[in-house]
Amino acid sequence: MKWSYMDHWVTETPQGPQPPSFNRAYMDRYVKQLSALGFQGFDTFFFYLPMLAGMYGSVAGFERFLQDNGFDKITGIFSAYPYATKYTAPHVRETHDRIFADCENTVRAVEGLSVENFIVMPTTTYFQVEPVTPDKIKIMADLWNRVGAMTLQHGMKTTCHFEFWGAIRTREQLDLFFAETDPALVHFFCDTAQHTIAGVDPIQMFRDYKDRCTGFHFKDTHTVDTAEAYRTPPDPELMAPGVDRWFYEMGTEGGLVDFPALIREIVASGYDGWLTVEHDKAELGGGSYAEATCVAKWYIDNVLAEVTA
Amino acid sequence: MRWAYALNQWNIRMDVFVRHEDQKRALKTVSACGFDHIELAAGTGRWDNLGRPEVILLNHGSHAGFLEFLRGCSIRGVSSMFWDPGQPVEEEGWAFRSTANPADHDAIVESARPFIDFLAGIGADTLVVRPTGSAWLSPPLDADAIKHIGQVWNRVGELAAASGVRVALHYDCLSAVHTEADLENLLAATDAGLALDTAELTIGGIDPVAFYRRHHDRVTHVHLKDTRYADTGTEYLMPGAETTMLRGGAGRRIERWFYELGTEGGLVDVEAFVAALREHDYPGWVVVESDHGGNPAELAMLNSWYLQHELGLERTHGYR
Repeated sequence: MKWSYMDHWVTETPQGPQPPSFNRAYMDRYVKQLSALGFQGFDTFFFYLPMLAGMYGSVAGFERFLQDNGFDKITGIFSAYPYATKYTAPHVRETHDRIFADCENTVRAVEGLSVENFIVMPTTTYFQVEPVTPDKIKIMADLWNRVGAMTLQHGMKTTCHFEFWGAIRTREQLDLFFAETDPALVHFFCDTAQHTIAGVDPIQMFRDYKDRCTGFHFKDTHTVDTAEAYRTPPDPELMAPGVDRWFYEMGTEGGLVDFPALIREIVASGYDGWLTVEHDKAELGGGSYAEATCVAKWYIDNVLAEVTA
Repeated sequence: MRWAYALNQWNIRMDVFVRHEDQKRALKTVSACGFDHIELAAGTGRWDNLGRPEVILLNHGSHAGFLEFLRGCSIRGVSSMFWDPGQPVEEEGWAFRSTANPADHDAIVESARPFIDFLAGIGADTLVVRPTGSAWLSPPLDADAIKHIGQVWNRVGELAAASGVRVALHYDCLSAVHTEADLENLLAATDAGLALDTAELTIGGIDPVAFYRRHHDRVTHVHLKDTRYADTGTEYLMPGAETTMLRGGAGRRIERWFYELGTEGGLVDVEAFVAALREHDYPGWVVVESDHGGNPAELAMLNSWYLQHELGLERTHGYR
């Protein structure tokens, strides 16, 4: 099992809580902390790349620092247009050239590294797209087919990460999207919590799309959205009535994702890609990213390792 | 050499580290960072349920029940427990006691008993003690006073030894036993071992590497942490030095004295110190501490990184 870490971290700085990209010293400490737990892959967001290049001389320089600390490499770059604008909205064909150009710029920023996944949110918020129709799904599929062909030329697979509040969220919508996309160009990225919140079984999704699956976000949730919170404008992740926190690290009481069952399924499938731990908004309720990361890694080492032993 | 991690930093106030779920998260954090033993710190009352033997047993039913609680988080056991008999506690009627006062000795020996019994019951082997109070609260210790302090620790040591537990005297930078000569006099006055704290000695103006080399036969316990500052020579005498010095409430306003291993500008030569331990085949516990240096989990992770990358330790069910 190759474990990677998704870069959501917040740490204390003299200027208050900040992402570790606050400065080079904080970034170094962050990498060392992940290294201490044995993570070997690092996933980050497209918008951090310029900061990393500034601090380490280049993105490649940052990757060398990762490698000095026991990492293998940068494994994935996350790119997204979560909010529709007149410039960028995957369901609006007229914005595709702009999105494509943005994606190409991001891919070029990691040219020469062996980043495997170009991870995208294939849609914006549901409320900005609805009614979600087969035609709109087809338009979005066309965009990501085009981007997928481009990223492959740069050695990266375009892989789609679905949000519970995105315009493609139900099993029917997911199936239609994958039917409209080319399996060679558009891949599946399985976020365990997002699917669970949306009422989709992530294990069944993996079972059905394992041939197109190129990665995971291992995170948990305590809540299935049964009240259409996904339609809450402008941001269901942070403003849904009645749910203060959607995401939890693995191993918390009340978690709905059956991680041991998923790991069994992954092992049985022969999947040999990266598994990524994600702590999305771990600071809610006073949480610490450092402690959440340790608790999740403890779960990997002590619970999931037992499953695969 | 055996490695453990101190839980003291998680317990920042009496009512915040109480729920078992919070304690489990700390234990899992320590485990994920590669440690399989912990050091506990004494406390008082119903909320301090990792700090008082009676309360631990009330929570977990028995010694075995407590060990089961730890092992559920992949922590195999307890290395040691820190206890300051000068700290007033509810269970002792909030009595103020001083090891420098022979009239308090009987009560101090008696108050050590639950800790010794508890440590023996869970298979831990060291009671780490604060040998005397803060310098700013005490007249200068003359030879007689240090002799008296040694006597009470010999008595506690005998009681502990009968249960298979040993006593280690912990030097801290605010202590009335402050100078190297004071510390040597204290060691001469007692059979107890020394708990050598690398940062505390450094802040107090004593080189931990040189001191260890001279007194390695007396060092039976280690607290490993770093500092970026040393006392100017008088700060430990400021009234309320626990806050006026150690929390930056006055003086130079240094708000943080303790740092993780490998910190930039660290004054402790950790590599040389651990090399010295290895040269002497040090058999005791090395307890890594965060000790009010920042986010406990972040510091545990950084300390873990240092052990692996700078000290070359392997983490295979605990550091080796």
